Amino acid sequence: MKKRRVELMAPAGNFESMMAAIQGGADAVYFGIEQLNMRARATMNFTLEDLADISKLCQKHQVKSYITLNTILYDHDLSLMKRIVEEALEHGISAVIASDQAVINYAHSKGMPVHISTQTNISNIETVKFYAHFADVMVLARELSLMQVKDITRAIEREQIKGPSGELIRIEVFAHGALCMAISGKCYLSLHTHNSSANRGVCIQNCRRQYEVKDRDEGFEYQIENEYIMSPKDLNTLPFIDKLLDAGVDVLKIEGRARAPEYVKTVTATYRAAINAVQQGTFNQEKVDHWMNEVEKVYNRGFWGGYYLGKKLGEWSDTYGSKATTKKIYLGRGVHYFSKIKVGEFKIESHQLKKGDQLLVTGPTTGVLEFTAEEIQLDNKEVDSVPRGVHCSIKVPEKIRASDKLYKIVEA
Amino acid sequence: MVIITHFRKKCIGCNYCVEIAHQYWRMSKKDGKSVLLGAKEKKGIFTLRTNEAALEANQSAAKACPVNVIQVKEI
Repeated sequence: MKKRRVELMAPAGNFESMMAAIQGGADAVYFGIEQLNMRARATMNFTLEDLADISKLCQKHQVKSYITLNTILYDHDLSLMKRIVEEALEHGISAVIASDQAVINYAHSKGMPVHISTQTNISNIETVKFYAHFADVMVLARELSLMQVKDITRAIEREQIKGPSGELIRIEVFAHGALCMAISGKCYLSLHTHNSSANRGVCIQNCRRQYEVKDRDEGFEYQIENEYIMSPKDLNTLPFIDKLLDAGVDVLKIEGRARAPEYVKTVTATYRAAINAVQQGTFNQEKVDHWMNEVEKVYNRGFWGGYYLGKKLGEWSDTYGSKATTKKIYLGRGVHYFSKIKVGEFKIESHQLKKGDQLLVTGPTTGVLEFTAEEIQLDNKEVDSVPRGVHCSIKVPEKIRASDKLYKIVEA
Repeated sequence: MVIITHFRKKCIGCNYCVEIAHQYWRMSKKDGKSVLLGAKEKKGIFTLRTNEAALEANQSAAKACPVNVIQVKEI
């Protein structure tokens, strides 16, 4: 197998997560602008006005930036879509992730690089050839097995299938994060029950709820041990990431634009370490155990290997929400940073801060900073704990900013 | 009187309100979000004061809105 540079792509729902992705060692970040993406709710999105800052941040850290523009589009969306593509091009955004032909065609015609979204469900080499007219990077359907992925990447090399740039097509797959119970996200449950279309980015996640199955003719209720009968566990490819890379994929994507910044940093950093280990030939079970332990600390519904290792069904989550082994508790906000003595002043707004607490600071510029509270001062005196409602000073390893949020991490 | 409020910033442009209450709503081709016809804007929130005739259709539109950005009040 020839040595490839594997790109690690991390999600960014806001500037905090974007910074966290960069700190975690991502090669690229992907994000949504306005409402035309699969996380259309405004809280997980940037606006057109943010494009300049995003571009500046990514260029400063030499990270590629991709805009998701992959919902179903209606006529009334076309002019916004064109504006997003044009402004992205103007601000030097690296590519557009698209599924609707309108976006693919328009971005291509403007010379904006296109990535074909997993929403298009690419599952065979002929489809790759079709999209090669428009795009250099393609995300395969999440339902393919490793063998099928490998067949496609080998065929690209053998048949020298090239994209508009003249380079061989690069294949991207999902490596980690939530999985949809429907094929390639094509689910209509949310639309049927709440008028809220998953394909317009507003899935209400019916599949994550509890259900019971009832025979309406005779009124029997079927006994199902697990009531979350439609909720898949989260994808995790760490145990076999060597095989995933060996299948010839060029880009690994981490799902989770709606996730917290510490999730993004932890998962990104773990996959960075895993990719490096595979490439340096030091991948082993001990490392896998350590990595699994790391990603279990942040949001997860339990893990499985997705469809890569064969189409094993029945890997359904048995809980609502997360199985993370740790959780964060909000303590307060940053007030000031004294750079000479490396001390941050914080206002404690809830709970109690104690010496030895594992602390987490997040902010749009700070990203994610984790450290132990070793030295806490109150009114210039060293103390062991600080109650709610006071300002205190904590020794911090790196610069923090006013209005950064302070949390403590505890066992869940 | 009926007061219709549209929290337009969070609109995702699904088109339901236009389908259901066409007399009152249009899709903007500029930004792909819906527009409450004749409404007055204040800090990004659009309000239309109108009569009883608007009630039923707009209540249906509000119910259908997947992101709950339409509010209909009868006073």
